[in-house]
Amino acid sequence: MIEVSGVARSFVAAAPGKRGLGALLGFGGKRGAARVIHAVRDVSFSAPGGHITGLLGPNGAGKTTTLRMLAGLITPEAGRMSVDGIDVVARPREVLARMGVLSDSRGLYPRLTARENIVYYGALQGMERDAADARAQDLARMFDMTALLDRRTEGFSQGERMKTALARALVHDPANIVLDEPTNGLDVLATRALRESLRWLRTPAGGAKCIVFSTHIMQEVERLCDSVVVVADGRTVASGSVAELLERTGQSDFEEAFVQLAFAPAPVDTGTIKAAPA
Amino acid sequence: MRRSLAAVLTVLRKELTDALRDRRTLATVLVSSVLLGPLALLGVSGLVASLESRAELREVYVAGLANAPTLQNFLERQTYTVKTPPADYEAQLRKSSFIDPVVVVPEDFETALARGDSPVVEIVSDSANQRSEAATARIERLLGAFGRERAVLNLALRGVAVQVLEPMRVDERDLANQQTRATRITGMVPYFVMMAVLYGALTAALDTTAGERERGSLEPLLMNPAERWALVVGKWGAVASVSMLIAVLSSFSFLPGQWVLRSDTLAALFQYGLREALLFLVVLLPFAAALSAVLMAVAIRCKTFKEAQASSTVVILVTSLLPLVNVFNLGGESPWHLWVPALAQSTLMTRVLKGEDFNLPQVLIPLVVCLALTVVGVWFVARMLRQAALK
Repeated sequence: MIEVSGVARSFVAAAPGKRGLGALLGFGGKRGAARVIHAVRDVSFSAPGGHITGLLGPNGAGKTTTLRMLAGLITPEAGRMSVDGIDVVARPREVLARMGVLSDSRGLYPRLTARENIVYYGALQGMERDAADARAQDLARMFDMTALLDRRTEGFSQGERMKTALARALVHDPANIVLDEPTNGLDVLATRALRESLRWLRTPAGGAKCIVFSTHIMQEVERLCDSVVVVADGRTVASGSVAELLERTGQSDFEEAFVQLAFAPAPVDTGTIKAAPA
Repeated sequence: MRRSLAAVLTVLRKELTDALRDRRTLATVLVSSVLLGPLALLGVSGLVASLESRAELREVYVAGLANAPTLQNFLERQTYTVKTPPADYEAQLRKSSFIDPVVVVPEDFETALARGDSPVVEIVSDSANQRSEAATARIERLLGAFGRERAVLNLALRGVAVQVLEPMRVDERDLANQQTRATRITGMVPYFVMMAVLYGALTAALDTTAGERERGSLEPLLMNPAERWALVVGKWGAVASVSMLIAVLSSFSFLPGQWVLRSDTLAALFQYGLREALLFLVVLLPFAAALSAVLMAVAIRCKTFKEAQASSTVVILVTSLLPLVNVFNLGGESPWHLWVPALAQSTLMTRVLKGEDFNLPQVLIPLVVCLALTVVGVWFVARMLRQAALK
């Protein structure tokens, strides 16, 4: 169960004219006006267990920033976030122990084998080596990558990398899974395999995981998500199942519905959205 | 706390595996840093040996020997073999294909000598060639002795005491012991060892920080429930271990290096045994720890390995230039030298080579400085880690 309510975060872009040694020592150069970028203004959603929640939004909508806040990498300026009832800001490490995150950057260690990459994260999650190793074996079976397991990850294809990174994120069998654009750079087959894996993880046999994943691809959402949270310009602009969103916008095509929701000309009245069924 | 410790060990183990699998880099470091010192020492010993053997040969090349039977007689009495140089010796000297200096005797040498006209004898050599210079000094002394002998004989014939010619006698008393003299030749040893430690730490330090950023593996790493300081301490431990390993290899590489020294004199002067190797390690291990932390702190601010390499050049420069204060010997050894990293280590290692012992401050001050640098470096990396993961 992941709950996010009203989080906001802005960044100050480096002012031009104050870089390098001057910036380091606190002098030099004329300061340009610092630019404040509101990456996330007001994002809220609630993702229950056994349920796949899609975070859908155009590039730069604030999806990655929201997920990074959820992982404790960025501290939110406003709002609350909790995972299984544990506050993310107050107890980040407990949250990370209950959450598997496949982040935007998913670099592997090229000189280690896939197994070593996975077991390393297991050990960092506090698992025994044997348990982590057994778990790596299980995950490899699930993601159909047993043959890769003892190869060094140097020279892995995009799909192989993604599988390894996903297995690494799930090594501690977390109840909550957060994926940031997991299908980026994957071919059709790899995407389908990933979808299958996620569907299975949703089932009671797969552990009835709470799965949140961000994407900007409509098809993904339509085929996979139980509910959709549309994020645009740092705000949650709509949420509900695909059918509900189609109904609300009066469209038959989900892409049209999304465009209407995300790029509405007038500022969306947040009141109506909050009233919408979650 | 126990979990953090486990995390430190996990990271340490992983980073060490990673670093030791980077075979090509390790091989480069081993060849360039660890072997270079002994090889350079071997080169110097070869030079010294060749000078020694040249001096032992007791040969002198004289052009126009037939003009100077008196000189030939003197040289042969000094047990020198007098040889005739090749006809084009000047050209050969310039090309360094012939390196011995040549004594050129003028045609009227004997008559001028008998008349007391001070004939001019030339010593032709090429001072650009160091080996030739050493030989020139020897031949100057030899000819000087000939001149003195002639003078003494002339004065004795006239009944003048020899002391008139030598109103004052000069005696040299050299306070340096054998090992101290040897440091003039072996003074480069600390430099080589320190460079080895530096290059041992460099790749690992950059790979665990800037390399991790470049690969995009830092952000997922921070999504583990391990304390950030534990991650950094583990990384630092691995980097420092690699650097210390190189320090050990490098310090001990001079032991066999000594056995193959080709010059007996140098072998006798360069007393580098187990004691010296261990004292080197006392100096080097804290230095390796500090250097690892500093390099990591420099590299964590860089987005790519390449950028980090450029930034770390500053550290490399400082480490290689500071010991030069000692080489130039500006005002000798000062107390503040001990407070400057790199300079302190080079000073202490020079002491070891001179056969001198350390006193307590000499051990403690650099140790404290290294410890402080390590703590500051690790703290800085831990502080920057989250920020670095996101950009």
